[in-house]
Amino acid sequence: MGQIVATWKKTIKEFLRQKTVLFWTIGWPIIWVLIGSFSFTGDAPADIVAYTRGAISISMMVFGLMTAGMANIPGNIAQDRERGLLTKVMSMPVSPWRDYAGRILALLAFSVFSAMLVIAVGFVCGAKFFFTWTDFAASLVFILLIFVASAGIGMLIGTFVKHVHGAIMSGVGLTVVSAALSGVMTPYAYLPSVLQDFARIYPISSANSAITFLMVGEEYAGYNPLTLSQIFFTAFLALLLFVIGLIAYSRFCWKKD
Amino acid sequence: MDAIQGFAVLTYNVTKEYGKQQVLKKINLKIRRGEFYALMGPNGSGKTTLASILASVKSASSGRIEIFGKKPEDAKKVTGYVPQENFSSPLLTGKENLMYFAGLLGYSKTKANDIVEGLLKKVELWKDADKRVSNYSGGMRKRLEVATILFPGLKLLILDEPTTGLDPSARRKFLGLIQELRNEDTAILLITHIGADADLASRVGLIDKGVIIAEDEPEQLKGNSGLQNVVNIETSIKSDKVATLLSKFSEKMKVMETEMGYRVFTEDVEKATPKIVRALDEIGCKATRIETERPSLEDVFFKLTDRPVSEVD
Repeated sequence: MGQIVATWKKTIKEFLRQKTVLFWTIGWPIIWVLIGSFSFTGDAPADIVAYTRGAISISMMVFGLMTAGMANIPGNIAQDRERGLLTKVMSMPVSPWRDYAGRILALLAFSVFSAMLVIAVGFVCGAKFFFTWTDFAASLVFILLIFVASAGIGMLIGTFVKHVHGAIMSGVGLTVVSAALSGVMTPYAYLPSVLQDFARIYPISSANSAITFLMVGEEYAGYNPLTLSQIFFTAFLALLLFVIGLIAYSRFCWKKD
Repeated sequence: MDAIQGFAVLTYNVTKEYGKQQVLKKINLKIRRGEFYALMGPNGSGKTTLASILASVKSASSGRIEIFGKKPEDAKKVTGYVPQENFSSPLLTGKENLMYFAGLLGYSKTKANDIVEGLLKKVELWKDADKRVSNYSGGMRKRLEVATILFPGLKLLILDEPTTGLDPSARRKFLGLIQELRNEDTAILLITHIGADADLASRVGLIDKGVIIAEDEPEQLKGNSGLQNVVNIETSIKSDKVATLLSKFSEKMKVMETEMGYRVFTEDVEKATPKIVRALDEIGCKATRIETERPSLEDVFFKLTDRPVSEVD
């Protein structure tokens, strides 16, 4: 447990002390919650405006979770590799699984922190949600799936993109492009049919739609993502990405030449 | 068996290949417990690769390695390795960095606190313990990183080029710290390309192109080289013409180019020095500084390989 806690503490402190990490994971989504809440709502009735703000807050929270997993984790791994810390740790009696667990748990804590902040700003801006406690609990499971999928992708980027800037930019780029193409940052209804298909397959956008469906309603999600097959597929793909990321990290980042 | 127990490191015919390139060629290295051994060689000679293999970060292509009688991967608990890079996290304080390593080594928080305090005092960073490493100087950062191998129980300390990039004052302070680490039980392997650093060791191995070409006590190496005196000249210009001229005075071996001038290897320094100054003057080159020195380990390396241990721009 000592190694996991040590890695957790180190990683979370690094996340919280890096301005670029704070900006892209928390600041950027909050800016979009503010812009979205006050610019895109027009003269719509108050209730619709409030639920729209709710949907925007959820999307931006998801965007923050994606950035945390896909950009912060690879950036953190690449930094440790580039400055020789991974070499140093590999020379010590440390298990790669514990190192992985420490990083992932730090990412989880940081992601929860960022998600809570983004949603809190949404509330302050007048976001409204409509849900039962069961819906809320189910939403938490979908948030966890987004986290798991993003972390898996992030571990893959961190494993194979060797340089810090390359790893961070790959993560940010993939986050922005995939969020735009899959309906996380654009309404599902406005996507062309091929991208609507992608939005249902991509586990992160599928989980995003599920949360929006549960917390705000079907009209804001654009469709009903809570079919048994889609839930199963989303969970399966998210977990698969996580496991692939885990295996790649422990096999290749810790590989002796 | 007793003999084997007396060794911290034993390697038998260790080779390392990257594709067709052979980086290490049948290295047989013996470092005794309590010994301070310096492995000196130029960039690309294989010294860092050998250190990485001993630290279990890389694996050998063939050969056998024993660290206190165990395979390197089974000896991680007793091996402390400081890689060449500045691996400490600049976003954490000095104390937080060491607490991280204490956690990795499995110490409880209370125990880790006590040990880390002691280590920070030992490397003279206690006053700066709560400053972020990004505010440390190069020397402070290196001392902090050396502290990561001073945790109790580590018996083989491997330091890869620890003084590279340090200013002379920080370098001296750092070398003083390494001297303090010497004790009967702990073996030190210092990887370096600086002769003055290697001079501190009880034994030095000179490595070139993946082969240990000479190995002995520093003074023995210098004595066996046949070199007696060196005239170290700083010149106003450096050119082939100057080098050719000076080579006439270098009886023992060819002239070695340095950053600021040349090193001339001659026996009768008293006689040769005024002649050198005059000869340089005649071709319009000023000798801005002349010193007579004892041969260094760099000179020995140069004599054995015909190449300087550090490349000159």
